[in-house]
Amino acid sequence: MIENLKAATFEVLETMFFLFPESLEESAQFFHGPGLRAWVPVAGPKKFRVGLTVSLTLAREMATNFLGLEKDELPLEKLQDVVKEAANMIAGAFLSREQAPQEFHLMPPHVVQLNLEDQTWRENAQHLLMAVEDEGLEVFLEKNT
Amino acid sequence: MAYNVLIVDDSATMRALIRKVLTISGFDLGECHEGANGREALEILENEWIDLVLSDIHMPEMDGIALVNAIRQNHLWENIPVVLITTEGRQEILAPLLEKGVQGYIRKPFRPEEIKRKLQSILGEAWVPHDRELEGCDF
Repeated sequence: MIENLKAATFEVLETMFFLFPESLEESAQFFHGPGLRAWVPVAGPKKFRVGLTVSLTLAREMATNFLGLEKDELPLEKLQDVVKEAANMIAGAFLSREQAPQEFHLMPPHVVQLNLEDQTWRENAQHLLMAVEDEGLEVFLEKNT
Repeated sequence: MAYNVLIVDDSATMRALIRKVLTISGFDLGECHEGANGREALEILENEWIDLVLSDIHMPEMDGIALVNAIRQNHLWENIPVVLITTEGRQEILAPLLEKGVQGYIRKPFRPEEIKRKLQSILGEAWVPHDRELEGCDF
């Protein structure tokens, strides 16, 4: 399952954002400052959510590559929309790779702002930690409460 | 011939991206309309001349499956080509839509060239390439 999440994440980041993340062993120094966390609830026989956490710096990089805009043309709202879309595509690619039955379906994505230093998400077992250059990226799969 | 296109996706960012891909890929784009879900798309179809619909599947209020059903059941719209641009990759969901007359689908994530290729194959000779190369575009 986590391998499919990883493959889905790489597929989305490489194809649509031109980013080539590396897996992380140690995470602490890569997660700092303000960030965005977006996730897609998956409804069906089991309820869970698929999402990602990125720094604002990385969100800006993603949005620049995705939309072909200059960084100063990107208000926070646009960054949030791009990170939500990334979560949406990762969730979709993950379900396809899992060959999930059609009873599972994607709900509209959510996004929140957060301070990456304050987070407890690193304790989540079902997640992957990656880095794009010096910026950390977390992709997670967790029970939807 | 310039095509009037309706892009349906609940993400404004994705709509902007698709519009941009159409513009730079040489597609002869006339008016470009946008809707955030199937209901908004139907309102646009009621009021505008649309030659091509590019729609997501998973959207709030009215999804792409309901939109395809509505388009194919209306004799004014039944021949409008519909292409799905979607995160959905499961054949049990996509195959019935193809049977209902959807012309094709493009899976997100996609490369810009995939949209061009798919529309070329659907529109055939009606496609009017402007020979603007995708390479070097600032995506």
